[in-house]
Amino acid sequence: MTTDTTTEYAAERPARMRWAKHAPEVYKAMVRLDTAAKQGLDPRLVELVRLRASALNHCAFCLDMHTKDALAAGESVQRIVQLHAWEESKHFYTEKELAAIELTEAVTVLTDGFVPDEVYEKAAEHFEEAELAQLIATIAVINAWNRFGVTTRAVPGHYQAGDFA
Amino acid sequence: MTPRTQVLDRAVGQAMSALSAAAKRGLGDPALAELVVIRASQLNHCAFCLDMHLTIARKHGVSETQLDLLAAWEEAGDEVFDARERAALALTEAVTVLTGGTSRTKSGGGFVPDEVYAEAAEHFDDRQLAHLIGLLVAINNWNRVMVSRRIPPGGYTP
Repeated sequence: MTTDTTTEYAAERPARMRWAKHAPEVYKAMVRLDTAAKQGLDPRLVELVRLRASALNHCAFCLDMHTKDALAAGESVQRIVQLHAWEESKHFYTEKELAAIELTEAVTVLTDGFVPDEVYEKAAEHFEEAELAQLIATIAVINAWNRFGVTTRAVPGHYQAGDFA
Repeated sequence: MTPRTQVLDRAVGQAMSALSAAAKRGLGDPALAELVVIRASQLNHCAFCLDMHLTIARKHGVSETQLDLLAAWEEAGDEVFDARERAALALTEAVTVLTGGTSRTKSGGGFVPDEVYAEAAEHFDDRQLAHLIGLLVAINNWNRVMVSRRIPPGGYTP
């Protein structure tokens, strides 16, 4: 995390647990799943999906990581910032990206109920069946990482683009 | 009901199965595993997952009383769910309902509260807890993949 000499920030809290150390087989399966899910999808789209889900799930570590990865992949600051108000800033995104972002929100906020037909159908207009299945898997997988990150309180600020590549 | 799509990439499906299996194995408590998996599936409204895991739970000897009262476990009393099960169920709900509110809103989730995590850590050692979290992550993953594709209940055969 960036610090300067004049501003005093709140103390950094340690992670609750290094889960991958205690469950290495689970971690291995997650990495395998992550790789399999994103096959065939545009890497820039994948980062947008990951960022939006991570914001909805309040995963600080994931926001840190995927903001840095998105920037490293050539994404613009403007598109990253506007993503969280995308309904009011649609002109920064393609119709295909918007359909994916909307699906991301529906699949992420499942506890409030279901994935609406119109959201699914819009996604199905822009993604052919196999690609859509990958998109759904990618949304599910970032939700999975978000849950590990939030539950074990993974510490944001230390990630550098490409650390896990 | 017809599914929206049955398509799921083979490598994705295999990795998801490996994830669930590793988590379940590491937790080492098949009956408790089904309780938390069913509770998450209730919160995520996954019909296919409920049908499947209620079947498996009964096979593992989980009582009808527990299954009937699972959605109201907090009100069901210690005689139905013991302290360890309650700690696991509280964690399940916190890990599942991450969206919505902020740290100030009671309902609608957001974060995993310290007291919920601490209570779980009292009943499960680090290794068990890491696998319990893994299992909760895995079922949340399945819930999303099944609900999105609208896979109908009843398709599971043991």
